[in-house]
Amino acid sequence: MNARLLALLPAAIAINLVIGGLVNAMGLPLYLDSIGTILATVLAGPAVGILAGAIGQVLFGLINGYQWIPFGLIQVVIAVLAGVAASQGGFRSAGRSVAWGLLTGLVAGALSSIISYVLFKGVTATGTTAVVTLLRQFGLSLPAAVTASSMALDLVDKAVAFLVIGALVRSSPNRMLGRFPRAARAVAR
Amino acid sequence: MTPGSGTAAGRLHPFTPLVLTLCVAVIAVAAPDPLTAAALYAVTVLLVVVTGVGRAALRALVPLAPLWLFLFLLHGVLGEGDRVAVMGLSLSRAGLALAVTQACRLGAIATASLALHASFSPARFVDAVADRGWSFSWSYLLVATLQALPRFRARAGAILDAQRSRGLRLRGSPLNRIRAIGPVTFPLLLGALAEVDERGFALETRCAGEVTRRTPLDPPADRAGDRAARWLASAAAVAAVIWRVFG
Repeated sequence: MNARLLALLPAAIAINLVIGGLVNAMGLPLYLDSIGTILATVLAGPAVGILAGAIGQVLFGLINGYQWIPFGLIQVVIAVLAGVAASQGGFRSAGRSVAWGLLTGLVAGALSSIISYVLFKGVTATGTTAVVTLLRQFGLSLPAAVTASSMALDLVDKAVAFLVIGALVRSSPNRMLGRFPRAARAVAR
Repeated sequence: MTPGSGTAAGRLHPFTPLVLTLCVAVIAVAAPDPLTAAALYAVTVLLVVVTGVGRAALRALVPLAPLWLFLFLLHGVLGEGDRVAVMGLSLSRAGLALAVTQACRLGAIATASLALHASFSPARFVDAVADRGWSFSWSYLLVATLQALPRFRARAGAILDAQRSRGLRLRGSPLNRIRAIGPVTFPLLLGALAEVDERGFALETRCAGEVTRRTPLDPPADRAGDRAARWLASAAAVAAVIWRVFG
């Protein structure tokens, strides 16, 4: 592993873990815990994004309880899709970023609902579980309630995350993009 | 002083709490019924208390309490099948069993991982990894991230305060709050990119990316008790999986 990656990965992982807390402080029902994964992917490729996501999830488990480790699979999927988006110039405009974010949210939401239902019997993060409980009260079956709440939250969450990273990379100076050629390609510069 | 260095857990070889935590997680997932899951939770809490990091069991209750409540509501109260009356409440028998099993599984895993966090010393871990001749990059990655976390948290708090003092409204309608994400996250991300640049140069000058064996100054002792605990826990985890699959 080269020195630049050794410097990038801890920063990307810390971003994943810290931005979630910032968003919580703002009272938003979002996770934004994949911003570091997407940033690492756009700058250095999907393999680095997968590493950032997976290690971040293990560390999140170390600090908050290892029960959340299975959700690391979603970080892998996000890194792969962000890698495809970056190679296709998917961050060159706000519209494209949101579109790729929605697609990623769709896939991540589906996977998240499967993990939530199969491994956690529908009880995961308190905000999501409150929505699941509410939907159950309205007569939805448990699998349907888990899927609906996961999908709705992930669509918005990933669209915002892709939008933020797209805006960040587009506003980065050429000097910075020169060190990360993949990022220059992601914004078609 | 390293975290938990005054406790029995802090004096163990750094790999021992790590292996024990992973084994607790495997056994918890394999636990088939409420009784086994409750027994595992009880043993985990006992081990954590005996090794001097009992506060982890209490800290684990913070994330666990809301999850337990929702498990009770979703499966006990709203569950289907035969009903049973408990303190005047009509509860699903199967749902209640599922809720107790899942609650104890989560309890054991959260308690073990928070105990590991309380006793984890990054410096001793790096020395233990170097002593085995394993990759420096991976241990550096883990330790650098653990050290970066409080720094980034402090920076995020300072940015939040600074933007508030400039008049950024973090409350109000959801749309207003979504608009505030940019001014709050951008400075953190830009600062991180600048840090990546500086740190990259610093690591390059120290040949951090090179594949060379490093010599630890003071490697932690790997006693017979540590090795026995790791082997016993691993054997128990394998037995639990075999029991679950073929039992």
